[in-house]
Parts: sequence; structure tokens; C-alpha cells
Amino acid sequence: MVEIHPTAIVSSKAKIGENVSVGAYSIINDDVEIGDYTKIGSNSVVYNGARIGANVKIMNSASISHIPQDKKFHNEYSLLFIGDNSVICDFTTLHRGTEATGKTIIGENVTISQYSHIAHDCIIGDSVYIGSFVQIGGHVEIDEFSVMEDFTSVHQFCKLSKFTRVQATYKVSMDVPPYVCVGGKPIRFVGLNTEAFNQHNFFQKKIDSINLVYATLYYSGLNFSQAKDKLKSDLPNDEVANEVIEFLNKSTRGIVGK
Amino acid sequence: MSLIHPTAIVSSKAKIGENVSVGAFSIIHDDVEIGNNTSIASHCVIYNGARIGNNCKIYQGVSISHIPQVSKIEDVASFAVVGGGTTIHEFVTIHKASKEGNITSVGKNVLLMAYAHIAHDVFIGDNCIIVNTVQIGGHVHVDDWAIIGGSTPIHQFCKVGKHAMVGAGFKVVKDVPPYVLAGEEPMRFIGLNSVGLRRRGFTAEQLDILKKVYKIIYDSGLNVSQAKEQIKNELPSEPLATEVLNFIDGSIRGIIPR
Repeated sequence: MVEIHPTAIVSSKAKIGENVSVGAYSIINDDVEIGDYTKIGSNSVVYNGARIGANVKIMNSASISHIPQDKKFHNEYSLLFIGDNSVICDFTTLHRGTEATGKTIIGENVTISQYSHIAHDCIIGDSVYIGSFVQIGGHVEIDEFSVMEDFTSVHQFCKLSKFTRVQATYKVSMDVPPYVCVGGKPIRFVGLNTEAFNQHNFFQKKIDSINLVYATLYYSGLNFSQAKDKLKSDLPNDEVANEVIEFLNKSTRGIVGK
Repeated sequence: MSLIHPTAIVSSKAKIGENVSVGAFSIIHDDVEIGNNTSIASHCVIYNGARIGNNCKIYQGVSISHIPQVSKIEDVASFAVVGGGTTIHEFVTIHKASKEGNITSVGKNVLLMAYAHIAHDVFIGDNCIIVNTVQIGGHVHVDDWAIIGGSTPIHQFCKVGKHAMVGAGFKVVKDVPPYVLAGEEPMRFIGLNSVGLRRRGFTAEQLDILKKVYKIIYDSGLNVSQAKEQIKNELPSEPLATEVLNFIDGSIRGIIPR
């Protein structure tokens, strides 16, 4: 049964799934799709272009699929996707895409804490944790299982690979390769994200090869392109080495230094 | 014609222009003036003393002309002025001045992004961009065309000169002279904002003059008052040089170092 508070304003054109609940004073616009069992708190507004999955929890006063803060935006049609089982906390602002990609994507099981902002055309992978007050610029890609601690921010067009961790209060202005923890001003490599290795039960063999890859990348005295060549020759069939090399190749802003 | 949502509470004493739209659950108090074609989204509260210009876009959850965050303050008859064409994104808070009759002023065509805070007695010039979660303290003066990067707080009584650009994730604790880039911690002079100046039609000759001025201030080994004398001698009748000198003369907290 759909539970909509009498003061909520829900468009009859919106496609609302089963057992959805909408809190007091919330507004759901026309071009919206909401999956089954999703809960929307009070005072939240879901704007046109939102595609919300099933069992998503949206707390109070969130702004979902609002028009982007891009000066080039001219009211073009674009979308915002939120994957199943995600949690969107209070006062978050999730903006839809611009004509560059047409969509902002938030994956499944993502947690976005209060006052956080996801700008236009971002891609947030599955099971990413985003702390409070995290401000993420346009076109940013954060891959699965990454953690953004509180008060961090990400410059537009940065890429953060999987299992990364950004220490609280720091600003990411370069690309972050997989499995590492970054922090400091300016942002730099501070070590491996060992917490994630324990949390996700990595095999020791994988941890060893992560250690080896980042020893080559950051502690061998080589620059990144030389280190890349060395990884290619030393660890030709290693899964982690290939992931890191692939990330280095697709990095546009350069990866964080040591 | 005004488009006021039936659930919005709009005082009959408020002076509302033509084609103003007010979204659901927004509240507009008595002593408020709103210009033509301004749109106010849902869940906004416009308190007494707000003077909002034409063609403004005010999005969800914005609070304008609220009582300032000064301890022991009682409600004063002061104002918060928002110039025409300004866009105010979600959850921005603009406070009115702390003394009776004074104003907090936001200029024309300003872009205030999500969660920005404009404290009491602040002056924001025209065409400024204030990015997400920028917290501007009381009595701060931000001149025309300045850009304040995301998550950068500005200490009370600081001044930011025109066409200056402050990097994201730092904090402004001293005055930032006009036409420069500032960043790092503690905040320092990084260079001339030449990209921004060229975009706004400054000529190569004008840029050369500014380069000379800042070379004398920051690269000559002179202290600020000696540098001022030298600029007066070397560039006696240059309007740009005079402008920089005037800014330094008007600076109370001192300008940022190299």
C-alpha cells in the first residue's frame, strides 16, 4: 500500500511503485519514477528526471534531481538514477545531468550522509559511502566500495577508483588509483586502504600484489610512466597491476603523488 | 500575474511584483519586496527586511533575511538585498544586517551555489560566483566578478577584491587583492587571475600593468608600504595600479602574503 501523507504533493503522472511512503510536505514532480518499498521523508522534493530504485531511503529535506549548477545548462532533458537500497540522508542535493552525458548515476547500496552534494553528470558506484558535508563536483566518477570521509570535497572531472578512501576534510583535485587512502593538502597518497582489505576479506595473495604494485608506483623512485612500464614487464598477468595500469591510462587529471 | 501555490503562505502586506512564482510550503513575511519574474521554489522562507530584485531564481529551502547569527541579538529592522538576475541554489542562508537600517547586499547576476551562507552586513558585488558550502562571515566584502571556490570559509571583516579567484578548500583570513588567484594554507598570493581576466576582455597591456604591480608587491623584496611607494613612482597614472593601491589602503586585516 502506498502511504502518502495528506500534506505531501505527489503528481498523478509520477510512476510510484508499491508500498512507497512519502512524508509530510514532500513534493514529487511529474516525470519521476520511484521503485517499490522506497521511503521518502518529510520536506523532500523529487524533481523531474528522477529515477529512484527500490527500497531506497530518502530522509527529510533532500533535493533530488534538481537542475544542475552549470552555467551552460539550458533546461535540457536529463536524468538522475538512484540504485536500489541506497540511503540518502537529510538536506542532500543530488543534481541531474547536463547535455554532456545526460545523466547522473548513483549506484546500489550507496550511503550519502547529510548536507552532501552530488553535482551533474557524476557516476557514483555501488556501495560507496559518502560522509557528511561532502561536496562532489561535476563529472566526477567514484567507483564501488570507496569511502569519502566527512567534509571532503572532489574537484570536477576527478576519478576515484574502487576501494579508495579520502581522509576527512581534504580536497581531492587529482585522480585516485584503486585500493589507496589519500589525504593531506595538497592531496597525496598516504597509504593503502587496509581497512577495506579487512572489511571485504581480501585474500592475502591479492594484498601482497597490491603492496607490490604500489611499492613500484610510489617507492621505487620511478615516475609514473616508467613505473607503468615496469609493472607491465614485472607483473604481466597480475590482476591488480592490470587494474592500476588501466586506471593510469584512463586518468585525465593525473594520479595523486606521494 | 503571480503564480502562488495554494499551500504557500504569502503575507498580503508583502510587495510582490508581476509574474512572481512561489512554490509549495514557502513562506513570505510582511516586510518583503520581490521584483518581477522572480521565481521562488518550495520550502523557502523570506523573512522581514528582504528586498529581492527582478528575474531572480531562488530554489528549494532557501532562507533570506533571517536574523543574524550574532549572540544576544534581538530582531532588528535591517535589510537583506538581493540584486536582479541572481540565482540562489538549495539551502542557501542569507542573513540581514545586525544594526538597524543597515543592509546585507548580494549583487546582480550572482550565482550562489548550494549550502552557501552569507552572514550579516556582508557585501557581495555583481557577477560573483560563490560555490557550494562557502561560509562567508560577518561584514565581509566580496567585490564584483570574484569567484570563491567550494568549501572555502571567509573570516569576518575580510575583503576580496574584484576579479579575484580564491581556490577551493582553503580559508580566507586576510584580504585578497583584486585580479589575483589566491589559495593554499595559510592563504597566499599564487598569481594573476589571467584566464578570468582574458575571458572578461582585459587586454594584454592591462595584464602587463597588473603583472608589474603584483611583481612589485610580491616579488621585489619590499614590504607593502615600500611597494606602494614604488608603484606610485613607477606607474603614476595607471587606473589599474591606483585601484590596487586603493584596495591596499582600505585593507584592515592586511593583504595575503606571497
